Amino acid sequence: MSDDGLLSSLRYLFADFLDEEDQTPPFLPDGLPEGAAPIVSDGIHLLMDYQGASYARLYVERLTRFVGKQGIDAATFGDIARLMANRMAYEDAIRIAQLKLAQYHDSGGAVRSTDIEKFRFDELVDALPAVAAEPVLMVLDKLGWAHRRVSIPFSTASKWGIRRLKVEAWLRRWRMFSIRYLQERAWVERWLHMINRCLDKQPQSVPAIVESATMVQGFGDAYRQGLAAWHAIIDGLAKPTFDDVLPLTDLAGAIEEARAAAMPDPRQAALKRTIAQIRARAQGAGANAAAG
Amino acid sequence: MDTSHLAEHAGTAGTLFASVFVVATLSMRTMIPLRVFALLLNFVLIGTAIPNHNYLVILVQTVALFLNSYRLHQMLQLVRDVKKSVNSDLSMEWLKPFMTERKCKAGEVLFYKDEKADSMSYIVSGRFRLVESGIELPVGAIVGELGMLSPSKVRTQTLECVEDGLILSVSYDQVEQLYVQNPAFGFYFLRLASARLFQNIGTLEQRLAQQTALAAAKSA
Repeated sequence: MSDDGLLSSLRYLFADFLDEEDQTPPFLPDGLPEGAAPIVSDGIHLLMDYQGASYARLYVERLTRFVGKQGIDAATFGDIARLMANRMAYEDAIRIAQLKLAQYHDSGGAVRSTDIEKFRFDELVDALPAVAAEPVLMVLDKLGWAHRRVSIPFSTASKWGIRRLKVEAWLRRWRMFSIRYLQERAWVERWLHMINRCLDKQPQSVPAIVESATMVQGFGDAYRQGLAAWHAIIDGLAKPTFDDVLPLTDLAGAIEEARAAAMPDPRQAALKRTIAQIRARAQGAGANAAAG
Repeated sequence: MDTSHLAEHAGTAGTLFASVFVVATLSMRTMIPLRVFALLLNFVLIGTAIPNHNYLVILVQTVALFLNSYRLHQMLQLVRDVKKSVNSDLSMEWLKPFMTERKCKAGEVLFYKDEKADSMSYIVSGRFRLVESGIELPVGAIVGELGMLSPSKVRTQTLECVEDGLILSVSYDQVEQLYVQNPAFGFYFLRLASARLFQNIGTLEQRLAQQTALAAAKSA
């Protein structure tokens, strides 16, 4: 075997460690609606920076499901493209380290600062590969520490801080094997599935379902509460409507009303009450309509 | 009489003999012969280690011997079961030893339509429903086996758990590994998948015939 062949084989074998993933961005899908190309292109570049080419390809594949789909106009397609890219670039400790490093490099090393972010232990461990994270989570659960909060500094103020950020950003190699990634993947697929079902059952409410992705943002408590509220709205209103269990004629209005009741409260008492009221109203209206 | 030199010669000859087996084992292209040669190698190394009282080697090789025997048994069992399965009812029970368990709760979605497919599943208990078609899948049903062979490798329907249950899953990667490791498995998997496709075509033809007959009866 020639030296080149041997080196390329070794490079391939250690591609993950050498940061040599295929860096060719995916092509824009054919048949994009007018005005969508720059949004999709931005999404691709965001995800190339976030994870790599294969992740950007997954984004394009997901988007392709809606290209030329009946009921999806250019504006809705643009919203799906933008919100999906933002959601796929979810904020974990690795992402925060990436952003902090980028800020440092973009300023040519002039910006030197320290941000202290609060995370729960389980949130930090979830970003590790499932094989490593599961035993750690089990131990943390046994100790009752899984929900304990910890402050993590992200600093470009010292050489040591920058080195640490680089190590944390490097962990993105294993992001796709993490528990958090599996959860995020399931979330994106559920959101897209709900858009699809809405297209079949209540096309006029599609923008509300698409827009509901803005409820899930950030990290820490804000992220967890947004996620819980989103699932509560989908499980309580959207899914039963699509399953023909709840006779809700204005799903978009109901989602808007429920979202207004979603407060930063871990128990989501106001939101649950509002959902129950909307359901009772819809069932009452349905019963009246059936009675004649 | 001093027999230590005999033990030493036996050890050297045994090591040479074992080296031949190492090369032979590593040169095997498929899994079953590889395991057979690995077993022979374990025997040779144990035999070589006994005269020298090398207990660590004896222990390691004994563990490896059991491991190789177990894996060989699994592979042979797989080939037998695949053959039996193809000749009978197209079930995929033979894949069970290679599958991982997953408990599902009511309301949980196992996969969504258009999602990239990466595994196939066997329903052990509970109730599962294909959301788009509304079809409920019975216990013993296999889901997603054709996705592995389809060019787009995407789910064609959403699968939701309606009542708590248990499924067994095997990733396409694992099936591909089995396919490559064992030519007999590969061949029978192809036959099985083709048979399922023909079965689907048969069902569609039956439905078409029924619809045509219905339309003819209406127009008459």
